[in-house]
Amino acid sequence: MTPGVDAALLAQLRAVTGEAGLISDPTRLLSYECDGLALLQQRPACVVLPRTTDECARAVALLHRAGVPIVGRGAGTGLSGGATPVEGGAIVGLARMREILALDVENRTARVQAGLVNVDLSFAAEQHGLFYAPDPSSQHACTIGGNIGENSGGPHCFKYGSTNRHVLGLTIVRHDGSVLDLSRVQLDPLGYDLLGLFVGSEGMFGIATEIVVQLMPIQPVVETVLAIFKDLDGACDSVSDVIAAGHEPVALEILDRLTIEAVEASIFAAGYPKDAEAVLLIECEGSEAEVASSLDEILAVVRRRGAIDVRRARNAHERKKLWAGRKGAFGAMGRIAPDLYVADVVVPRTKLRELVLGTTRIAHERGLKLSNVFHAGDGNLHPNISYDRRNPDEVRRVLEAGDEIMELVVKAGGSLTGEHGVGLEKQAAMTQVFDEPSLRTMCAVRDAWDPQRRMNPGKLIPVHACREMRGALRPKA
Amino acid sequence: MEPNALVDYVKSLDCIHCGLCLRTCPTYQLTGVESSSPRGRIYLMRAVAENKLEASDPHYREELDYCLVCRHCESVCPAGVRFGEMMETARAGAAKAAPRGALERFARWVGFQVVLPSRFWLSLSISALRFAQRTGLLRLAAKFAGARKEALLSMPAAPPASERRSLPERTPARGAQRGEVALLEGCVMPELFGRVNRASAAVLADIGYACRTARGHVCCGALHAHNGELEGARELARTTIASYERLGDAPIVVNSAGCGAHMKAYGTLLEDDPAWRERAKRFSKRVVDFSEFVAANAPADWRPHAAPGLGKLTYDDPCHLCHGQQIRSQPRELLARVSGAERVELANAESCCGSAGIYSLLRPGDSQAVFEPKARAFAASGADTLVTANPGCHLQWESGLARLGVKARVVHIAEVLAPSDPDSARANVR
Ligand SMILES: Cc1cc2nc3c(=O)[nH]c(=O)nc-3n(C[C@H](O)[C@H](O)[C@H](O)COP(=O)(O)OP(=O)(O)OC[C@H]3O[C@@H](n4cnc5c(N)ncnc54)[C@H](O)[C@@H]3O)c2cc1C
Ligand code: SF4
Ligand code: SF4
Repeated sequence: MTPGVDAALLAQLRAVTGEAGLISDPTRLLSYECDGLALLQQRPACVVLPRTTDECARAVALLHRAGVPIVGRGAGTGLSGGATPVEGGAIVGLARMREILALDVENRTARVQAGLVNVDLSFAAEQHGLFYAPDPSSQHACTIGGNIGENSGGPHCFKYGSTNRHVLGLTIVRHDGSVLDLSRVQLDPLGYDLLGLFVGSEGMFGIATEIVVQLMPIQPVVETVLAIFKDLDGACDSVSDVIAAGHEPVALEILDRLTIEAVEASIFAAGYPKDAEAVLLIECEGSEAEVASSLDEILAVVRRRGAIDVRRARNAHERKKLWAGRKGAFGAMGRIAPDLYVADVVVPRTKLRELVLGTTRIAHERGLKLSNVFHAGDGNLHPNISYDRRNPDEVRRVLEAGDEIMELVVKAGGSLTGEHGVGLEKQAAMTQVFDEPSLRTMCAVRDAWDPQRRMNPGKLIPVHACREMRGALRPKA
Repeated sequence: MEPNALVDYVKSLDCIHCGLCLRTCPTYQLTGVESSSPRGRIYLMRAVAENKLEASDPHYREELDYCLVCRHCESVCPAGVRFGEMMETARAGAAKAAPRGALERFARWVGFQVVLPSRFWLSLSISALRFAQRTGLLRLAAKFAGARKEALLSMPAAPPASERRSLPERTPARGAQRGEVALLEGCVMPELFGRVNRASAAVLADIGYACRTARGHVCCGALHAHNGELEGARELARTTIASYERLGDAPIVVNSAGCGAHMKAYGTLLEDDPAWRERAKRFSKRVVDFSEFVAANAPADWRPHAAPGLGKLTYDDPCHLCHGQQIRSQPRELLARVSGAERVELANAESCCGSAGIYSLLRPGDSQAVFEPKARAFAASGADTLVTANPGCHLQWESGLARLGVKARVVHIAEVLAPSDPDSARANVR
């Protein structure tokens, strides 16, 4: 049988998910062409929206038998093209699977369907004094399943760690529709750490349908402070000093002037001073005494590094506002130009300052506008380049700048992605970071999960690299 | 047809495809389908402009019609996308590209060109509705109405003629006059909610403002614009501006959120009309929502008394107040001033109730589906009375709660704040 989505297959899928759970008309399919990386587009052959693990398993089995490639999709907010469809392929969307199945307050865990929006879990846990720690800036939209796909982080992951530190169990629909139950929470895992492998696998190892996560207790005292700088260097150096001195704030975030301007012009206006060259957002939490002492010391460092003003949020409302500005920053950049290229690199924290300068130079050399907003505590930089995708030359320059930024960072000992994943966008650059044996091992792991390579094919691992690997593996004649 | 005439391409470019608007969109909430989300709809509009999709495409059209134009997406969009305006243009464009069927065209003509702009026809229609409801004719008709059955049966109960009085041309201030305002009576308001208009005038009088009405003015054109009848909307905007210019330059107080949001945007609606552009801008600056005005102008020690029998109150934000006019705190502040009333917050108060102008009549099933989570939130709040600030929402809550068998009162905020006069007291204990 030739692989493909035909009328018979569509009818079978419809029988599984119901009429409302299958999309196959070209118009509505258009809206699935891309994720948050709007630069790359491909219309899928169909979209399947199951409601349960069972529906998902049956749909995947049908697609598997027909040889149709599958791309899992949560909210499509990914920024590296992870959820971009592949030609002739199906999207398995989790948007109708967003129930909280159980909330165990005593053990501080929750079992949720994978399509649950990140923030809805924290809203539900709040009344029990708990929250879900990984908080990507997109948390009002992105799904827990998508967070697992990308091993996402957020401002508070500086203290709490990324998604992988918070996942305790998974129910996975594998490439052939069989269900793998890794949801029995084991505190001391035996054997290979399959959970650990799955988190960050960008939809290539299967579709997570149910997820057990750990919840954290809300701390008694939370203090949020905005430090204002006349130059970006002072903000960067403050971060290096704070960390060197061994302090443990929950979050350290920097926004530069262009970003501040955009935020202040948006609905997320947080009262950041528009004439500042940079602001540093600091959050500390813990007992009253802990917070008071560490904040005093941190503020002393910040002042020494040239902060011209320090503002403390006086209540929950002010704190929310300061954070809304930070979390709305990407979107607010939409005001500067129609499109935004969001890079995502990790740099050694001691080199923050020089690499921030370097990225800016790379963009300026190509006549591009670059702004910087970053999880400074983690050394996770997001150089954002504004552009207009209707201008092909500009698009070319943006991609070129993106590549050069990655090269610069890797040379300095940094990494390609902090939290947005590799997807389509950074695939080619993988060879810069990993040597052949590493890539070969990745290919082998992937083949163990999905021997036909039909789960999100063409992502993460450079395709040619994989093929070359194959060749290399064959015994020489 | 030139694709750029069918959608607002320039505005569509503001969208950076971040997806932050998905979760709050009621139609995406119900379906999980991305083309039924703000981002998806904008993507399709862009596709039309870029010649990748025909504006006459039935699926495209369906996604436009399915949207409630609640504008919740605007409130969460970091890029400042002006979705409501884009939708008006896109709907007008789709109608140009593929004219509707003859029957639908006729029905729209009757509704938008004949009834809404005319006090006579409006009044007659509501009288006929009341007649049909009281004689059982409506139930009979519903039997033959097929898919529209629910819509017919959920039509609001038309009040008796005695309640459908217009306001006097001038209501004097109580005590010393502190100023004068104009009050928009609206098209359906006097017919269905005469008591709300009287309560509004009474509150304004109570805080020291004389209140005038524009004789002969009927409709501001909001419903026209939301449904893509942009020419009709512009014509009514001009009439409205002229009517209120005759009342000097006093603030124009509006107790219907949908009308207020629309009238505040006349400047944009008439942007391309050089003869009216400036007048429209001047007019829009005068428009102020009822709660907005009262909160800003009531004497500091003004403490209205709760009307008897209201019990615990909860306030539901009309979309066109919170998302359309950024008015959120004022109604809450005012309710907090009421002595003798307990107030609780309603969960997801900013999400749409499904009324959405004439949406509840055009798509009754979808409208009810959008309403259901609201009813659950209301039940969970433990309140006895739902407070709103928009006639469409008012009707939706009344008929929706009645259908689900939930016992509760639904009132306009003006009715809570009004000094107990016979009219609103009667309304409160209905
Ligand atoms: C404005 C904005 C701000 C952002 N801020 C951050 C940030 O602070 N930190 C951060 O880490 N990211 C951030 N992101 C990126 C993005 O939101 C995250 O990568 C997020 O986790 C993606 O979730 P999603 O539900 O949208 O997944 P999608 O984009 O739909 O999918 C992402 C990947 O996961 C796979 N996948 C989806 N669901 C499943 C599943 N159930 N099982 C297996 N695989 C699956 C997909 O195939 C794809 O490869 C931001 C994005 C935007 C637009
Ligand atoms: S939030 Fe705004 S910019 Fe982001 S996808 Fe929605 S409409 Fe577009
Ligand atoms: S206006 Fe309301 S229904 Fe329409 S796209 Fe925006 S949020 Fe959804």
